[in-house]
Amino acid sequence: MKTKTESKRQAIIKAAAEVFREFGFDRASMSDIRERLGGSKATLYNYFPSKEKLFFEVMHQAKEAELETIAGELDADTDDIRRELTHFGLKFLTVLYSADAIAVRRLTIAESRHSDIGRLSFEQAVVPIEKQVAEFLRKAMKRGLLRAADSKVAAMHMLSLLESELLQRLLLGVIDSVKPETISAAVRRAVDVFLYGYERR
Amino acid sequence: MSKSDSKRQAILASAYRLFRARGFEGTSMADITTQVGGSKATLYSHFPSKEELFVECMMAAMENYMSGTLKHLDPCRPDPEKALRNFGTSVLNFICSPEQVEVRRLMIAEAARSGTGKLCFDKIAALRTQVSSFLAACMAAGTLRRDDPNLAADHLGALLEAEILEPFLLHVRETAPDAKETALAARRAVAAFLRAYAPEVPPSSIAERSRPKRVQSASAPSSTESLE
Repeated sequence: MKTKTESKRQAIIKAAAEVFREFGFDRASMSDIRERLGGSKATLYNYFPSKEKLFFEVMHQAKEAELETIAGELDADTDDIRRELTHFGLKFLTVLYSADAIAVRRLTIAESRHSDIGRLSFEQAVVPIEKQVAEFLRKAMKRGLLRAADSKVAAMHMLSLLESELLQRLLLGVIDSVKPETISAAVRRAVDVFLYGYERR
Repeated sequence: MSKSDSKRQAILASAYRLFRARGFEGTSMADITTQVGGSKATLYSHFPSKEELFVECMMAAMENYMSGTLKHLDPCRPDPEKALRNFGTSVLNFICSPEQVEVRRLMIAEAARSGTGKLCFDKIAALRTQVSSFLAACMAAGTLRRDDPNLAADHLGALLEAEILEPFLLHVRETAPDAKETALAARRAVAAFLRAYAPEVPPSSIAERSRPKRVQSASAPSSTESLE
């Protein structure tokens, strides 16, 4: 058997991403992906043992890693917590609300009943992002910038407030895309409300 | 229940089973007629299109449940804390139930393909309006600060779901949470919400900086309109 290469792996992920987007997870088959890619089915399976694993890789690579990086950039040493949260919120929602990320999120929710995609996504993306935001908030609480509270709950409140105005509309296909200025207005309002709820006073 | 009502319920039950097993596209009105019995004309007399039948399948249980739960939010007695806690706990018990989690998954799964998402959203928005009316009454009574009540309702919903819904939606958890867990999540969400929407904000630097923005957002068109 040939040695696996990163460039081949990436080529598979790219082809799979296209096929999943066109057909949806249900109807896309490993054969469709192989056709798009060329080469043998054995090679494809050598890299990815199942459609599920491949789908998750596509999804994770496309967006979740990016979101985690954004959360990791939260600077706990800041003196301006509002600015830091606003900056984070803007970058976070801009990625989360891209057409690809919404398609992926929809598929993840839809498929979670039949496979472990939902669990993988939860463990590898949702929880790490929450942890990073919680760590940022914990330090802000310790420095007295926010009132003392359960930082994990506060992180979930923050993330959910960010998503509150637009995510459901995107997931349900009520709107297809969001303008940058609409995102920044929603972020500003979410951060306002979060800080009212968690500021020391 | 009248004969027509029981027929309607039978159609909804069969259609829901089929949609769940085969998806929206994989289910035809003819399949549903075969399952329920009777004629296609009867089916169409209850539901003029497959889209409307699907949306009704998704939303009927929620509308039914919410009509009871919304009674916690009586605008004539705008005491937000107790009302919102009871309302929040009740909503969480419902939306984290296995049936409702499944409904939400199916609704999201089919949203893009069939265009039913917008119809579902309209019904959800109509329910949310009732929450907004209560919040508007609290704002008028001075128990909450003045702001866009639709926005406040979005924020309240997000805070309520924040701690608890996602693991269910992603199938990490299956068994419905117990009453204690939902009550705790609702209590924390309502506490954050009431702090955030408290009527008096002391003149901290934060308040000064955000005051002009709040005035702006209160006078701006509702959040739905501003999406255009």
